[in-house]
Amino acid sequence: MEGADTLALLMQGIHHVTPQSLVMIGVACVLFYLGIARNYEPLLLLPIAAGCLLANLPLSPLIAEDGMLRVLYQMGITNELFPLLIFIGIGALTDFGPLLENPRLVLLGAAGQFGIFLTLIAALLLGFSRPEAASIGIIGAVDGPTSIYVSGVLAPHLLGPITVAAYSYMSLVPIILPPIMKLLTTQAERRIRMPYSQRQISRRTRILFPIVVTVLVGTLVPFATPLIGMLMLGNLMKESGVVERLTQASAQEIANTVTLFLGLAIGSTMVGSEFLKASTLAILVLGIVAFAVDGIAGVLFAKLLNRLSGGKVNPLIGAAGLSAFPMAARVVQKVAHEEDFENFLLMHAMGANAAGQVASVVAGGVLLALMGAGGH
Amino acid sequence: MRRYNLRLRDREFTIDVQELSADRFAVVVDGQTYDVVLSGDEDLPDADITPALQPAGAAAGHAQPAARVAPTRGAAAPTAALATAPVAPRPRAGGGATLSAPMPGVILELFVKPGDVVQRGQQVAVLDAMKMHNVIGAPAAGTIVEVCVAAGQAVGHGDAIVRFAEA
Repeated sequence: MEGADTLALLMQGIHHVTPQSLVMIGVACVLFYLGIARNYEPLLLLPIAAGCLLANLPLSPLIAEDGMLRVLYQMGITNELFPLLIFIGIGALTDFGPLLENPRLVLLGAAGQFGIFLTLIAALLLGFSRPEAASIGIIGAVDGPTSIYVSGVLAPHLLGPITVAAYSYMSLVPIILPPIMKLLTTQAERRIRMPYSQRQISRRTRILFPIVVTVLVGTLVPFATPLIGMLMLGNLMKESGVVERLTQASAQEIANTVTLFLGLAIGSTMVGSEFLKASTLAILVLGIVAFAVDGIAGVLFAKLLNRLSGGKVNPLIGAAGLSAFPMAARVVQKVAHEEDFENFLLMHAMGANAAGQVASVVAGGVLLALMGAGGH
Repeated sequence: MRRYNLRLRDREFTIDVQELSADRFAVVVDGQTYDVVLSGDEDLPDADITPALQPAGAAAGHAQPAARVAPTRGAAAPTAALATAPVAPRPRAGGGATLSAPMPGVILELFVKPGDVVQRGQQVAVLDAMKMHNVIGAPAAGTIVEVCVAAGQAVGHGDAIVRFAEA
């Protein structure tokens, strides 16, 4: 008798292996592959995959009460701390100079958020609840921390699939965007040159910008205050130049540490019973629709600006309005450069891209406001 | 802090120099901040300006800022700043066509040297702008006359990268 009990105790791990957990371990391996072999956002996908793997092992102590992954989740996901800390780092790395040089690019950032609202409507039609639909729509902000922040408030049970969709598609921006850009523009339009016009942006302007934006956005969209506040704090530290050590720490050490914690915690939410649902598949499909619609709206809006300006705006830069800073801007530069090696759109694209970053945050705040959630 | 307004090849530069310690300066050139270490500082008998600043006077013929920069304690700081800052071009009469930087950044690699024959579109340099590596191609076929920058050097918008004689 005693021998049998001992054996049962020793074998309980194997007894608790479920088909679901095996599938999830398979999902973790796919994410490992995407991150390691395909280099898709490995900084996030690798920890997510590890969290997913560790959470789905039988009887995993890591997600038991006081288990490390659960502690991480409660430490920084339920209260939104981690995405906000990452935002300080993003702010410290973002150069708003190109946007300040060409402020009308702000319009492209707004256009690049169109996918959010279209995806939200599509998700509602598919039967998701309003908060769920809003969380899925925010994938269209094409900004990881914003997606995590919004879905963490509105639909924490969907955090896993939404984060995976947001980050995997973000790494696919160089693959998703160029066909859309080429389809919607003529060769002549892609060859429109936009010479870089260096305008002097004074240090005072660069320092005032984050403060003014924080006050403005925070007043207009209070739900966006945490996100915009942290983003602009990082930027203010960078532009002030007086707290080099804090800027460095935010952009490097803190951002790196939090990325690890964030990835592990999100991966740990991907347990079989929650993840293996038709809704996950729907989210993955809706996510890519959101990305595509953002790109389409951005390019079409830039075409409109081109008309209005008498042919001075290369419609390609519209694609940079969807955020995914700074990757989208690089894609724009690459497509334009392939068409005409003497055309350098990078600075304009960076401006639209930085505008998209701010617009994503604002859109996140607007969604939260519309859902009446998140405030205290 | 001390502010210098320089005119160089018809371009205005605003240079702010903040003394951090005896040999360390924070220098802001057109919004770009550089950490500058002062490795030497001496008064030269027959020059009212240190050599690296010569092009400014030569190009613009603007005596006033040069005089202001002259041998004060902080004078070597802007000199050092200009060495790293986007102000390399040396004016040259009849050098043919110029390939200039399309945007500010840092020259990472140079693929040509004086005397090289290039075709239109041939890679001349790689410019790192906003952390993106941009290939700069020759705008026309020709022979490289002068390479105006070195790898690792910061360039501003419009600064000459190479001069070449068009074929």
